[in-house]
Amino acid sequence: MGERFDRYTLKSGMVLLGEPLESVESAAFSFMLPSGASVLPKGCCGAGNVIDDWIFRGAGDKDSRQLCDSLDSLGLHRNNSIGSAHLVIGAVLEASNLSEAISLYSDIILRSRLEKEQFDLARQLAINGVMGMDDDPRHKVMLKLKEQFYPEPLGRNPLGKIEELKTLTVDKTKEIIAANFNLSQTIFTVAGKYDFDAVVKQIENLFETEERKQIEPVMPVAKTSRYTHIQSEGAQVHIGLMTETVRPCDEDYYNARVAVSVLSGGMSARLFTEVREKRGLCYAIGASYHGLKEEAGVACYAGTTPDKAQDTLDVVITEFGRLGEGISKEEIQRAKVGLKSALILQSESSSSRASGIGSDFHLLGRVRSLDEIKEKIEAISVDSVLEFLKKRRFKDFTVVTIGPKKIKAGQ
Amino acid sequence: MEFKKKQLPNGLTIIGEVNKSAKSAAVGFFVKTGSRDEGKEINGVSHFLEHMLFKGTEKLSAFEVNEAFDRTGAQFNAFTSEENTVFYAAMLPEYLSEVTALWTELMRPILRDEDFNIEKNVIKEEIAMYKDMPNFDVMDRCRHLYFNGNPCGHSILGSEESIDSLTCEQMRNYFSNRYAPNNMVLALVGNFEWDQICSQAESSCSKWEKQDISRELKHCTGSGKSEKIEKQNLNREHICLMSSGVSAQDERRFAAILLGAIIGDDVGSRFFWELVDKALAETAAMQFGAMDGTGVFYSYIRCSIENRVKVLDIVRGIFESISKDGVTEDELKKAKNKTLSALVIKNEVPMGRLVDLGFNWTYLKQYRTITDDINAIRTVTVKDIHSLIEEFNPCNFTQLSLGPVKS
Repeated sequence: MGERFDRYTLKSGMVLLGEPLESVESAAFSFMLPSGASVLPKGCCGAGNVIDDWIFRGAGDKDSRQLCDSLDSLGLHRNNSIGSAHLVIGAVLEASNLSEAISLYSDIILRSRLEKEQFDLARQLAINGVMGMDDDPRHKVMLKLKEQFYPEPLGRNPLGKIEELKTLTVDKTKEIIAANFNLSQTIFTVAGKYDFDAVVKQIENLFETEERKQIEPVMPVAKTSRYTHIQSEGAQVHIGLMTETVRPCDEDYYNARVAVSVLSGGMSARLFTEVREKRGLCYAIGASYHGLKEEAGVACYAGTTPDKAQDTLDVVITEFGRLGEGISKEEIQRAKVGLKSALILQSESSSSRASGIGSDFHLLGRVRSLDEIKEKIEAISVDSVLEFLKKRRFKDFTVVTIGPKKIKAGQ
Repeated sequence: MEFKKKQLPNGLTIIGEVNKSAKSAAVGFFVKTGSRDEGKEINGVSHFLEHMLFKGTEKLSAFEVNEAFDRTGAQFNAFTSEENTVFYAAMLPEYLSEVTALWTELMRPILRDEDFNIEKNVIKEEIAMYKDMPNFDVMDRCRHLYFNGNPCGHSILGSEESIDSLTCEQMRNYFSNRYAPNNMVLALVGNFEWDQICSQAESSCSKWEKQDISRELKHCTGSGKSEKIEKQNLNREHICLMSSGVSAQDERRFAAILLGAIIGDDVGSRFFWELVDKALAETAAMQFGAMDGTGVFYSYIRCSIENRVKVLDIVRGIFESISKDGVTEDELKKAKNKTLSALVIKNEVPMGRLVDLGFNWTYLKQYRTITDDINAIRTVTVKDIHSLIEEFNPCNFTQLSLGPVKS
């Protein structure tokens, strides 16, 4: 495949990763700052969302409008997100504007103006965002599910809580930025068309600092809640359920991925076939692997009208349980082909590669090549998946529902 | 990049853009049919039919169809709009022939009664799902209000009642006319051998029969009506505004896209600075949607119930200032940069390219390279935007808002 990865570590410990892609004219980059929802101080849930907006409201010698104009004139498309571990600030743009963009991002990360009146607006928008989530039950149920499933604070809702956002102050938020924009623990990624030597030189000039002390790792506390229902008079009951499985660094990781794919990889997979095709219970049904560095699970969503909600949950749980009882060779083969093909299709996009190499590095301490992943998937067999499921059955579900009717979650 | 084209005697057009350096390929059938082509009594049939195409043929059961796709690892799906139904797949080049053969077979479905009856439940679940998505619901209702009896205002999904009363026989009749080869385009993009795929498609599609087919085309300027709906489970105000624009066949569509970005791009636009930056609304976006023979500017705004009146006043102010003073050179330049980079990035992936290629043919019967589109965007002037505003004043909008019940 002729794949190549670039890697360089600054004296501060900041890691720079790159993956060149042939035949693209774009470049995507991201700064993964150790300011994800789980590492923020207690009582400041949602601060990441405020920070994500506030730092763009003026930086260096530019006020909010000048900064936005400069980014727009590069034709840059912002790509920010808040995960459990990182606040990711990134963008995709035409490759010739990359250097100018990195220079603007150094102002945003290191020299944001952080003005009081801009803080109030950023915080208000974050509060509005949480309120708006009530009108998006499909999204809300999955955020709530991760919050209930993962040991606190790993699954924290990155949007935060209204009460905590209301009491968040300028000083506290500045303190968080000072502590959590720790460059020694920051990962920079770039993919697409770029010159790595030039990027390294520029990042070194703009971002090199003394090595800083690592942020204290969080000590997760396991959750005990198994079923949560949120009453809402909508048209559907939105069901989210999650069960524990192996982490991305585990030797059984690919067995888990293939098992989930047998359940919900394509339209011939079991959940779609049993829940939608045979019974017509749902339109939207699907499960996917969700892995953090510390914990991992299989998350499933189903949306259905109230009278079918109980049946839907029962069928889904039965299918999770039935998986260990036997899987055909063809099912495994389809799951493997699906995973491999998704991987290669994603490898054509600079944005997906910029985030892929960053997440690999965070989760595994290295970047996996496409060939390595393909080989590992290739090695999976019916026996290996069944053996894995014997050790790690999909049982004990955390369930969250939002809708007009509560259901029996079985435990 | 090399463009290829062939038209079969029955009217089916096959087009391809070959890019030997791509790692993947994409294929799609673009059928020129959607909710605007339905009579009221069969509203929702286009979308329902899209689902039914996956239910198999004389030779294949629904499960066998899904299995056949999944064996290739293709990422495949379909979507229905007011005027198009598109079936597509992206996959590794070695599977293109197999996937194209499968789609071709599915374009002549069996439409079994028992599959139809089970799928009815799935469609009704989809209708229920969108009821819980007010951002979608408000657009659907506003489109209906805007088009005011014009078939373009038909709901894509249909209603629970229209789906309940729809029969499989009605669907079969609709299918036999609308899925005629002279109403479809087969498009291919990426790394593939044109001659091989083309002759394969030719041998399987040549027996499809040509039909007399038409579509009612009437430009619509919008009803200008305003409606406010309260729903008990909502928390925020969801506002949709629509005003008229140029059609997909009109060269001014590029100016319209840029005007949409100047007014309502998600960052740096007039909406952004007046509404989002000031935290009066958390979302405020405008987009231009070109259609067959007509076109619409859509705005979607989400805010608190308390800010509703203020937000609408500001929006009116923005529209008035645009119509009175126009836009600046600087605004146009920024909109161009953002639109151009989005275009280039989208087209880097075969799947993204497929959509542009297929729709350009559907609407214009024309092959346009990415460079053609880039140049068309680059050459738009402030004067072009101003003459567009003069003809399609954004102040003349239809408005629908969906919000919580006032206590």
